[in-house]
Amino acid sequence: MASSVTEPRPADSSPAAGTAGGPGETTPSGKRRKGISEKNRPLWLLIPGGLLMTIVILVPLAMGIWMSLIDLDQYTLRQWVSSEFIGIKNYIEAAVSSDLLRSIWLSVSFAVISTVVTVPLGVAAAVVTQNAYRGRAVVRSIFLIPYVLPSFVVASVWRTMLQPDGIVNVTLTNLGMGGGLWLNGPNSYWTLVWVEIWAAWPFIYLLALSGLQAVDHEVHEASALDGALWWNKLRYVIFPYLKGPVSLAFLLATLNHINNFTLPYVLFGAPAPADVNVLPILVYVTSFQSFRFGLSAAMAVVSLILIAIPLFIYLRAVKLDVHDGGTK
Amino acid sequence: MTIDAANPIERQKKQPIRRDAALEVTRLMPRPLLTILTVLLCAVVLVPIAYIFLASLNSDIGVASGEFWPSSFSLESYSKIWDSVGLAKAIGNSLIVAGATAVVSALMAIGTAYVLVRFSFWGRLTVLRGLLGLQSIPGTLMLLPVFVLFSSAGTYLGVTVIGTLWGLFIAYLTFALPFSTWVMVTYLRGLPRELEEAARIDGASNVGILFRIIIPLSWPGIIVSGIFAFLLGWNDVLFASVFTRPDTHTAAVALQVFASAAEGGAVPVYSQMMAASLVCAAPVVVLYFMFQKYLVGGLTAGSVK
Repeated sequence: MASSVTEPRPADSSPAAGTAGGPGETTPSGKRRKGISEKNRPLWLLIPGGLLMTIVILVPLAMGIWMSLIDLDQYTLRQWVSSEFIGIKNYIEAAVSSDLLRSIWLSVSFAVISTVVTVPLGVAAAVVTQNAYRGRAVVRSIFLIPYVLPSFVVASVWRTMLQPDGIVNVTLTNLGMGGGLWLNGPNSYWTLVWVEIWAAWPFIYLLALSGLQAVDHEVHEASALDGALWWNKLRYVIFPYLKGPVSLAFLLATLNHINNFTLPYVLFGAPAPADVNVLPILVYVTSFQSFRFGLSAAMAVVSLILIAIPLFIYLRAVKLDVHDGGTK
Repeated sequence: MTIDAANPIERQKKQPIRRDAALEVTRLMPRPLLTILTVLLCAVVLVPIAYIFLASLNSDIGVASGEFWPSSFSLESYSKIWDSVGLAKAIGNSLIVAGATAVVSALMAIGTAYVLVRFSFWGRLTVLRGLLGLQSIPGTLMLLPVFVLFSSAGTYLGVTVIGTLWGLFIAYLTFALPFSTWVMVTYLRGLPRELEEAARIDGASNVGILFRIIIPLSWPGIIVSGIFAFLLGWNDVLFASVFTRPDTHTAAVALQVFASAAEGGAVPVYSQMMAASLVCAAPVVVLYFMFQKYLVGGLTAGSVK
């Protein structure tokens, strides 16, 4: 398998790459970035990956945008080439007579609430495992469990526990608080938030931990010498180190929450109750249960535009290049 | 910061000389508060985990009536799951598709990432941004056109794609390829250049450097990018729920069959569902804890999930 994929590449193109940079040994212009070569580039190595990505990513993406502009349902699906072009009618229908706006609101509020709760949890978890103690490795592994478990397993387990006669309601009744309906009705929204938080806080924890590890021992010593109280030390000495990683974690986590299909789908099934009809579920139901493919493609494009804002900020903030500046 | 993938060198922090004193200095909270927070967080994680184990050893009826501690322990659920939804076949399918995705995308990633990290060319930063951005694209946006293309393959080419493992494999590449490539990019960045430069002076070609130096040095990165591609495939429900038929169900979809069985008014099979959940989670958990050292760095390299 390994050789059959990689072998053909050098065989047919290496002579070309070898000769290309041969004579061009003169020093390139002065502003060449260190370590990144502009001569003798084996750009042909990009061809296999680039070609495959074009086929499996760029073509479907373009196709998805095209689909949102045509009248496509289960009858025209197999002959989509000859489907009628209807411009932005799908978008208008999505905005006017579908649940799209409500779903956007549900998705965004769900994502923001989940992120806002998981950030302090994750940072707290990173802070409490900062010091070495006997058993810390075990605690760190425990903290990773919700993240390691597949989403579909997490959702199946909570779905079982939150059944009307399930363990959660039995426990609540024994405690005298009375149970409730968790998988249907208005509570379902908070069920979704709760399970998402349970599954997602270790992601923040990991990023916060990487920020904490950047704090030098001298910094701890200096604040100990100054006799800083622990919360002042946290607030003024440690948290500034976490600002970068945690802001990135904030953006990424929000994006992940908005895009999360598995959790609502497995917890509530599709079609989902109205209170948890988040964007991915709405798009899924519109296409694979109502068979309005054009309409749902328009909804999917809208959800892409929705995440474009945090995504854009994230892409600006991330250090793309070793030498593009930015701190380690 | 977050972008440095599984780089083992990074992790070796200097050890303080006098441990106890050093511990006092780096402590960020008073000990009681620390203990309380740790215990609380562990409890929130461990109680549901304990429940899964206990419920999988319980009877279906026991779980349905809300028992935490089973009134009778048995391993019956673990033997029933193989017949009731064809879990063995489903796990086999998952292994094949996710494994193929892992191998192909990890191998494709090496060459692309090498050029992206070591050479400059027009559009390089756009490609890097694109690789990262693609990981946050809504899965549904990719699913729809892929579905339409697959179903029209039947009309225009006379090939059945939907319902086959091949189709699922191609669909998974849409996410696995950019992700694996990004993980490789972050790994290759951490490799020192000196070896390559020495080899270049000795007259090695780019291809020689790739095969003799880059690949042998970056096997941890290759493994990590492969494992992440595997996990993308193993954990997926969205694509698998659309592109599989009963005989090509993956583990994730097979697990949903238990849930729908309960909805159909039949006797709920919650205990079996918990046993099957554990079985489906086991390969992932084993992979993580086997490669934890490398994976944790890679986790923060991009947006997994």
